[in-house]
Amino acid sequence: MNDTWGISGPTFLTYFIGAMIAIAIIAAVHRKALFRGNRSSRVDNLGPQQVAYLNGGDRLAIYSSMGGLRAAGALGTGPGRTLVRTGPLPAGVTPLDSAIYNAAGNGVRTRDLHSDQWVASAVEQLRDTLERNGLAVSAGKMREARLWVLGGVALVVIGIARTLAGLGNNRPVGFIILATIAAFILTLTMLRTRRWATDAAHKGMRELRSQHTYLSPANSPAYATYGATGAAMGVALFGGAALYSMDPAFAAEAEVQRIAATGGSVGSSGGGDSGSSSCSSGSSCSSGSSCGGGGGCGG
Amino acid sequence: MAETYGVGIGWRPEIAGFVEGLPGLRFAEVVAESVHAHGELPTGLQVLLDRGVTVIPHGVRLSLGGAEPVEEARVEHLAAVAERLNAPLVSEHIAFVRAGGIEAGHLLPLPRTREAVDAVVANVRRVQAAVPVPIALEPIAALFDWPDDELTEAQFLTEILDRSGAQLLLDVANVYANARNRGTDPADLLDHLPLDRVAYVHVAGGAEHQGLYHDTHTDAVPQPVLDLVTALCERHRPPALMLERDGDYPPAAALAGELDAIARASGYPAVT
Repeated sequence: MNDTWGISGPTFLTYFIGAMIAIAIIAAVHRKALFRGNRSSRVDNLGPQQVAYLNGGDRLAIYSSMGGLRAAGALGTGPGRTLVRTGPLPAGVTPLDSAIYNAAGNGVRTRDLHSDQWVASAVEQLRDTLERNGLAVSAGKMREARLWVLGGVALVVIGIARTLAGLGNNRPVGFIILATIAAFILTLTMLRTRRWATDAAHKGMRELRSQHTYLSPANSPAYATYGATGAAMGVALFGGAALYSMDPAFAAEAEVQRIAATGGSVGSSGGGDSGSSSCSSGSSCSSGSSCGGGGGCGG
Repeated sequence: MAETYGVGIGWRPEIAGFVEGLPGLRFAEVVAESVHAHGELPTGLQVLLDRGVTVIPHGVRLSLGGAEPVEEARVEHLAAVAERLNAPLVSEHIAFVRAGGIEAGHLLPLPRTREAVDAVVANVRRVQAAVPVPIALEPIAALFDWPDDELTEAQFLTEILDRSGAQLLLDVANVYANARNRGTDPADLLDHLPLDRVAYVHVAGGAEHQGLYHDTHTDAVPQPVLDLVTALCERHRPPALMLERDGDYPPAAALAGELDAIARASGYPAVT
């Protein structure tokens, strides 16, 4: 019996797996270099919307601005899940705030905000600054990093071809099927990785998050006390869940996605659903508070 | 508390960031039941301890006024938390929160009888046996009096403190609420309490609802309560006073304003 393509199964598998490991390593090293960023740049003087962009891209930057505007009483929801203005534009706002406030005047829905011309250009401005400072990964670098996806795709195609040829040749194909699946997973992983913060920014973001633990939805923070900036920073660091913790009705009406903070996966405990659901049990009023509610609670 | 601490605040997770940002803060209080005795402390609280801020565990669920003995597990927890926080003092209420196995979910007032004094003193002694630091007892606000009261409020409290050797955690907002709802003079009670036994003082906000004053802890501290703070400090200034706010938290500036008002009323330096 002839070997498929004139190469024995074990030899082919060795080359195949070798190529897969090589692609994974080279892609990782390449990424490391591409995403390094500028180590001298700092994140602690960034505004909430910039932090939000680094943490969750355009969408979280928009949510962060919405959180700030909501806390300032400028933004609400109207019929058909549109955004409406509920008060004057606060002083000292960012271009993104103005753009969203303007869009709210036109009854835009949250999910359409990013395609609003003003909003899009405000986000672009935000992104440019961060990229220039070596804090954000540019789209170009992201594309470059994803070039290795092609290598993965090539492996998958070769693997499938070999499997089919092997079947036609009555050769065992179990191992090559497994190897092809592994190559497919590698490819998918490389394709789906999306990040906004450079490695330089990541470290600073972790510190920011631990400095602002009190804004985590798990603490059901009093956003009235922390003000518009606190609300915007809460969303920036802990994702859409923070908006739900702050104002569940508004967040739901505005169709805010809970899982928005993904960039700094390390330690972003409040990023998902767990954060906002814990506020019912974690609140000091239900369990710990010395105020018994109702009438003359004393204490 | 032998030392003088000035103005403090009740630490709550909702306002942890605000409390952390108070530069002059030297003492705070935390609801004892909200602290894990052996697990990790909430970050904001750890930051305060690292800064040398004194944090006092304030129990709300012991039910010292219950007819049955205090639950051992609850007392042990209070002791462990006191140790954990390295607190010079713990505090609890003169009230009951459960009876006959039913949880009231609320601090309920005791009838001011000798029998009730006996029950409270017995429970306080149980706590004192397990907790290595002194305990301060806080009388609660009541919207009503029991019909079989034998003692006046001052007699009732003094009797409990004398017999148990506990200190007093005086809540001026409660004093104000009780006096106002009974139509008596709040300063009158101050004249009859052992003010030298006051470990620290709670100051809280409230609101009037259908003719009765409710000690809500979710409203601003009204001027008459601040005036009562001044009246108290003129008689005997306690070593520490703190703002107790439990919900509906206002903007930071308003909260800081309340702390400043307490500082002004008591003559202690501002902590904001």
